[in-house]
Amino acid sequence: MPDMSRYYDLSVSQIREGLASGQFSACELTAAALERVDAEDQKIHAFLQVTPDLAMDAAREVDQRIAQGAFDAMGPLAGVPVAFKDNMNLTGTRTTCASRMLETYVSPYTATCVDKVLQAGGIPLGKLNMDEFAFGSTTESSAFGPTCNPWDLTRVPGGSSGGSAAAVAAGLATVTLGSDTGGSIRQPANFCGVVGVKPTYGTVSRYGVVAFGSSLDQVGPFARSVKDAALAMNALIGRDPKDCTSQDIATDFVAAAQQDVAGMRIGLVPEFMNAPGLSSQVKDRILEAAAKLEAMGAQIVEVTLPNAAASISSYYVLGPCEAFSNLARFDSVRYGYCDPGHRDLQGQYDASREIGFGKEARRRMLLGSYLLASGVYDKYYYPAQKVRTLITQDYARAYESCDVILMPASPRPAFKFGEIADPAEMYLSDVFTVSINIAGNGGMSVPVGLCPQTGMPIGAQLVCPQFKDENMFRAAAALERAFGPAGVAPDFAGRAGE
Amino acid sequence: MSSVKKLEEVLKDWEAVIGLEIHTELTTLNTKMFCGCKLEFGAQPNTHVCPVCLGLPGALPVPNKAAIESIVLAGLATNCDIEKHSMFYRKNYMYPDMAKNFQTTQGPVAFCMRGYLDLDVDGAGAKERYGLEDLAEGQTQDNITRTKDGYVAHVGITRIHMEEDAGKMIHVGGGEGRIAGATHSLVDYNRAGTPLIELVTEPDLRTPEEARLFMQKLRQIFLALGISDCSMEEGSMRCDGNVSLRRRGTTQFGTKTELKNMNSFKNLHDGLLYEICRQAEVLEEGGIIYQETRHWDPSAKRTIVMRVKETADDYRLFPEPDLAPYDLTDEWIDSVRAKLPELPDQKAARFQRDFGLSAYDARHLVAEPAVAAFFQECMDVSKGPDAQDDSTRKLAKALANLCINDITARANADAAFDLASPECPLTPARAVELVGLISSDAISSKQGKEVFAAVIELDRDPGTIVEERGMKQVSDTGAIEAVVDQVIAENQDAVARYKDGNVKLIGFFVGNCMKALKGQGNPKLINQIVAEKLNQ
Repeated sequence: MPDMSRYYDLSVSQIREGLASGQFSACELTAAALERVDAEDQKIHAFLQVTPDLAMDAAREVDQRIAQGAFDAMGPLAGVPVAFKDNMNLTGTRTTCASRMLETYVSPYTATCVDKVLQAGGIPLGKLNMDEFAFGSTTESSAFGPTCNPWDLTRVPGGSSGGSAAAVAAGLATVTLGSDTGGSIRQPANFCGVVGVKPTYGTVSRYGVVAFGSSLDQVGPFARSVKDAALAMNALIGRDPKDCTSQDIATDFVAAAQQDVAGMRIGLVPEFMNAPGLSSQVKDRILEAAAKLEAMGAQIVEVTLPNAAASISSYYVLGPCEAFSNLARFDSVRYGYCDPGHRDLQGQYDASREIGFGKEARRRMLLGSYLLASGVYDKYYYPAQKVRTLITQDYARAYESCDVILMPASPRPAFKFGEIADPAEMYLSDVFTVSINIAGNGGMSVPVGLCPQTGMPIGAQLVCPQFKDENMFRAAAALERAFGPAGVAPDFAGRAGE
Repeated sequence: MSSVKKLEEVLKDWEAVIGLEIHTELTTLNTKMFCGCKLEFGAQPNTHVCPVCLGLPGALPVPNKAAIESIVLAGLATNCDIEKHSMFYRKNYMYPDMAKNFQTTQGPVAFCMRGYLDLDVDGAGAKERYGLEDLAEGQTQDNITRTKDGYVAHVGITRIHMEEDAGKMIHVGGGEGRIAGATHSLVDYNRAGTPLIELVTEPDLRTPEEARLFMQKLRQIFLALGISDCSMEEGSMRCDGNVSLRRRGTTQFGTKTELKNMNSFKNLHDGLLYEICRQAEVLEEGGIIYQETRHWDPSAKRTIVMRVKETADDYRLFPEPDLAPYDLTDEWIDSVRAKLPELPDQKAARFQRDFGLSAYDARHLVAEPAVAAFFQECMDVSKGPDAQDDSTRKLAKALANLCINDITARANADAAFDLASPECPLTPARAVELVGLISSDAISSKQGKEVFAAVIELDRDPGTIVEERGMKQVSDTGAIEAVVDQVIAENQDAVARYKDGNVKLIGFFVGNCMKALKGQGNPKLINQIVAEKLNQ
């Protein structure tokens, strides 16, 4: 067996080369990946479920294709260790959404995004931790315990796709999928120092991804390089007849990432750069990123988003309303946790939902139920929709003078567990991400160095017009060239096999 | 006092205000509203289900385009405005038959808004309308216009919206499948997600007969459109009635009750009639009407309380984020309009115009599309349209009678009888032949009934059957005279009594003559000859 000690650091392209040249087989790579998950994941708890049988079956398939000389025809993720946020259905696996409610729920079908990754040759290592039903920014609301940040185990990895970000940062998987309703891909990518992409709403099918806020949710990849993320995007996009909000997109993201930024117009938003909660460390990095882009030939322009401040209020109306309705199906009748011994339906409903759902899930549903009540609806839901239109118009206007907007992904780097206990304060930390979901734009987080105080990674967020996601990939690749690729978190690098 | 009589009494003092909510499943579509599952009535439970209609986590709806076309057809055929911009909403409530715990339906703006139907009310049914006799023919008051035999009622349609049906609950262990006393309940999700259109009328109906006619007319239209099998029995067309009373001369609406389980035209009529009388009784005794849902029990002939609505339900309606708003174009709407078939009213008018049928006959003829098509074919294979031609009018009238009476009765009694089937033994040519045999006096109309049944049973031509059975009607005057003479000769005492004034005895002579002619004598001729001879 070849020396697999540093396989986990390999990029998607390097894996392809290694497989094609016979340096290692897909089975060897997969066995090593599973071994590493077994050994290392106990430190961070990124995985809720490991699927060795599915992984080895997929690896054997890849090896068979190689043996048949058909490897070239395989998709862009052939042989690449991948893993999925646990709100994505994969036939035969548990899909828990990190909730007691679905602790034993086994998927009878596969989500389109998962299927596309598998069709592209991805090796499914397992399912990843998250905030319960994606409600949260830290993974602390997971019913099965939080995930730790691979850069500092006392800090949160971000959320809700914390497991997806941490798994990539710790070198447990090469590409993972997450979902982003208000920042749930970009914020954990930022906290864990990896690339995280929330494409334009409609770019990736949502079919089979357990819904939180249907008009806001979007699936996207995590990776340790812009190119890996681009390869994953190429595999994920495309119209899905099962999701009528999905669009027919045929962008080549790898090609976009190879373009330079000369002549590109990069927008900076004063409302965001001077936001009261923004830490100086993050602000400095973003300004540095802007300077580097400018040095590479991009043009920095100021754009304004006058209504962006209302995005949090709008988001915390629309999100809970949709969530309230989306989560109503978890009623103990057909599947999910059912509290035994009840003789009446309402009693069974109430007890099962009380026990099955965690505190944050119940808080959001209660909020949504209140906001949609007659008499209340007109005061909140309706204005929130109006604000949504205004913010969307703000962005559209801003993009008249720029191709991509550069902004922070969150006010400060990853914080410690328990540091933010007040839910309202936690909600406010979504200030830089939610407006993008509100407007349906694409956004991605890409590492731009470390925080001088804490040593934690800091990411820059690039935001693009709807269905112009190639723009942000172009700028992200430039930042990656300037700041260096993400790499595995130091404590998880260089020690495998030791 | 009969119940109808009682209703007439009640309606002297009270005005009944009735609105209908009519749900129709689009059973002629192949698949459900938001997924590709097959639509099939009576399949094994939970065999036509998928992640979408089971509401499994992660599943998403994809709207059935054909269903949207169907509802637009329904709207165009009922004089509705088609709203180009409408969307789906989520109606949130928890019940096990609703897998997602919300029903996908429409909000304030439905695909079809502001329509109407005009109802021809005549005959005994028109008597239910109070004050009709005060109107002169052609005179209009409120929403009705007096006609020669009754009136036309103009009934507004508020809206027709698109929604999905729920699954079916079966309660086990209680009485008659009721939930009360049941030990457990089963759910069949085959029906879940069936495309459903709900039509809501304005509160423009005033009598049970008007309600019945509205439902009947709507059913005829939907059948003509081919958007549903409209089976009230199987529940693919269901009607709820909202009823309230107010004193004659007042304008304020009374408290309404909602009536359910009116799964036939008769039940719709009788349920409303009962409820109107019940409310009048309660009000006249100084009681109050509660806003409640009541169940019509046809065997007990009364309505019983199902559920009292203390407060309006809060369904937390909001736009369905998984489905994009609709933006229908004029071109598309026009393309649907071009698919509108001839509607029952138009067909009835044409039958009057082309074949000289009466309005009454024409209206009844078009009630069932298959019957109307059959009549049309009969005319096509024989005379063609020519209302000026006496023989065409006669044939049309005879065929209309056959269709309205014999064929409809047969279809009602025998589910296997399918006029539209190419295997149906009753072909248009045979029907034309049959009415020809009767109108030419070759056989009596009584014999016609026998031949009609035999054609269907034996799959043979009427002429062949008449010949095989030796059924020819004896219209030979000489032969009949001989028999009459013989009967008179054999019954001289009866002749004497007849001549003494017992004229009823003529039936005795005719009956004996008919017996002697083995039932094949022409009754008209026998009558005539017997009378002549006895009065000589």
